[in-house]
Amino acid sequence: MQEDKDILKEITAQEYEHGFVTDVEQEFIPKGLNEDIIRLISAKKEEPGWLLDFRLDAFRKWKSMKMPEWAHLDIPEIDFQDIIYFAAPKKDRPDKIDPELEATFEKLGIPLHEREALAGVAVDAVFDSVSVKTTFRKTLAEKGIIFCPFSEAVKEYPELVRKYLATVVPPGDNFYAALNSAVFSDGSFCYIPKGVRCPMELSSYFRINASGTGQFERTLIVADEGSYVSYLEGCTAPMRDENQLHAAVVEIVVEKDADVKYSTVQNWYPGDAQGRGGIFNFVTKRGICKGEGSHLSWTQVETGSAITWKYPSTILKGDNSSSEFYSVAVTNNMQQADTGTKMIHIGKNTRSRIISKGISAGHSQNSYRGLVRIESRADNARNYSQCDSLLIGDKCGAHTFPHIVNSSKTSVVEHEATTSKISEEQLFYCNQRGIGPEDAVGLIVNGYAQEVLAKLPMEFAVEARKLLQVSLEGSVG
Amino acid sequence: MDNIFTIKSGDISRTMLVAAGQNAVESLGRRVCGFDVFAGDGFVRNMLIEENAVADILVLVLPGQDANLDLRIEMAGQGASCRLFGLYLCPDNERLSVNVGLVHKVGRCKSHQLFKGIVSGTSRTSFYGRIVVDSDAQVTEAYQENHNLLLSDTAKVDTMPQLEIYADDVKCSHGATIGKLNEDEQFYMRSRGIPESEAKVLQMVSFISPVLDILPDGEEKTRLASYVEHCVRTGF
Repeated sequence: MQEDKDILKEITAQEYEHGFVTDVEQEFIPKGLNEDIIRLISAKKEEPGWLLDFRLDAFRKWKSMKMPEWAHLDIPEIDFQDIIYFAAPKKDRPDKIDPELEATFEKLGIPLHEREALAGVAVDAVFDSVSVKTTFRKTLAEKGIIFCPFSEAVKEYPELVRKYLATVVPPGDNFYAALNSAVFSDGSFCYIPKGVRCPMELSSYFRINASGTGQFERTLIVADEGSYVSYLEGCTAPMRDENQLHAAVVEIVVEKDADVKYSTVQNWYPGDAQGRGGIFNFVTKRGICKGEGSHLSWTQVETGSAITWKYPSTILKGDNSSSEFYSVAVTNNMQQADTGTKMIHIGKNTRSRIISKGISAGHSQNSYRGLVRIESRADNARNYSQCDSLLIGDKCGAHTFPHIVNSSKTSVVEHEATTSKISEEQLFYCNQRGIGPEDAVGLIVNGYAQEVLAKLPMEFAVEARKLLQVSLEGSVG
Repeated sequence: MDNIFTIKSGDISRTMLVAAGQNAVESLGRRVCGFDVFAGDGFVRNMLIEENAVADILVLVLPGQDANLDLRIEMAGQGASCRLFGLYLCPDNERLSVNVGLVHKVGRCKSHQLFKGIVSGTSRTSFYGRIVVDSDAQVTEAYQENHNLLLSDTAKVDTMPQLEIYADDVKCSHGATIGKLNEDEQFYMRSRGIPESEAKVLQMVSFISPVLDILPDGEEKTRLASYVEHCVRTGF
């Protein structure tokens, strides 16, 4: 077993691959948060008056709110006046991307040129508070698909943005959503017109670079009647001893018979083995299945962040609509995660399915928290939830906090959860067949997470599998 | 009122907590199947289970009775074991709240919880059950189940089973369901000449019968089981 431990330690100690800093000239606004700062952000982005009012309204709401404390997390005090709310790389010439930035995304494996290799994916690359480049826009525009930075959408398609903004996550929804609504910088806007099947994967890549800043992006996805889109989201940040705040809002509107698939591979810097530094990932993601027969699927692989507070949710409003949530959350060292989902059944014959796989190692704490709510008019609603936790090592914790409320007599809700560790028998079985301890753990963990990984788009699945290996391997002991 | 019960090492304690009208409790008697019967509508209990001690608790909430149940159980000595079974029948406008906190402080203990309820009319039931396994409590087995039958659109069932686990050598699981009576089963019975109402009673009785398995077999158990069946038959 000692040998196993050594191997595990070695792998667990592996450095965070994306922890470098890009040296570009950046412009910052002063630290702190007040109405003037919000006016300044709004002015920098040349926003119309209604959006500034929206921000100020959210800010006033936020001031009266308190940080939520119900999560099973130990969050150090955050000084919201000590954060820079807007940072952008300086641009000499408006149409050209700084080669330094290009190199950064290249290094992260996100090409900003429309190349053959990743021809199936259109990328919106966000660097701190601004979008650097959105690829394949022309190809998409031919089909009538809008995929652009959020700030651009505000200028070019104000009616669309106004129609849908904050319809799923209202500005006063929760503490972090209110903060985001007040100070949000860039993000992606995506609109798929009626009956269009998006020919390629759309993707946003978020990168935090500047120190002392936070990232507050806002994403809005609208799938009109009968359309289909698959959307991916990725993120990384440099290694630093300070904690940086990432408070995003994602809203998804799914109209009649439309189908949206939203996948996340979250790999923010998790902090070092002693728990110094790392990103605080406090994110509000919510979709609404508005029309009949609509479908929304969430898939997430959470491996990074010092603290994760994230509950992608679906409101099943349309009759016969359905939603799924597939999640793998890995925590190691001193990481903490409190993540899960909410499924609100309002329409008739609505269906939801929750598969959550938590893996905790080191000294980490990993919680699943979920709500399934069935309203009395949601006839024949059906939910199935399964939450498994895998413990690697005896210093970590795995917790399950589901909440089920049902008031419809024709509906059926099921929840089950198990917690276990990788047994010595399983390891012995592999070892006996010539599979080393390190590979055996990888094999078992991969098998355990397979159900979720299989739901990821191909490009991401490979990445996620590797990530899982790096984040975890060798934590057995 | 706060009652603290310590079940001393090696002891066996059997308790039945009954929430029902006065007549029902009197007809049950003070002791059933070796279980001490306590009647009331609010139960607050703090229990400490020492080494190799056994605690069996059966909770019965019968129709027409609002009830609050608040149980804190601590597995304090190695080899302790606890079975906590509960049954609630809320056909009309009952209010029931169940709150169970079970902590495994030390290792090699077993706990098993099973709560089943049938809810109809305009009743509201809430179940909050929390299992905590401390980091020293290796080789723990803890199971919790809460199953509900919801028979009307105006009733509401709320369930929050929670697992908090800080040790790794554990076998823990919980399950919760809220559902309806199986229509295929009904069809099977009706096609064999059993009337619909009787078929439903049979389904409900079989749904709750695992809870009564905590009682040792015998005449007294049969008597209690038939009393519960009577409650189901007249209540729903």
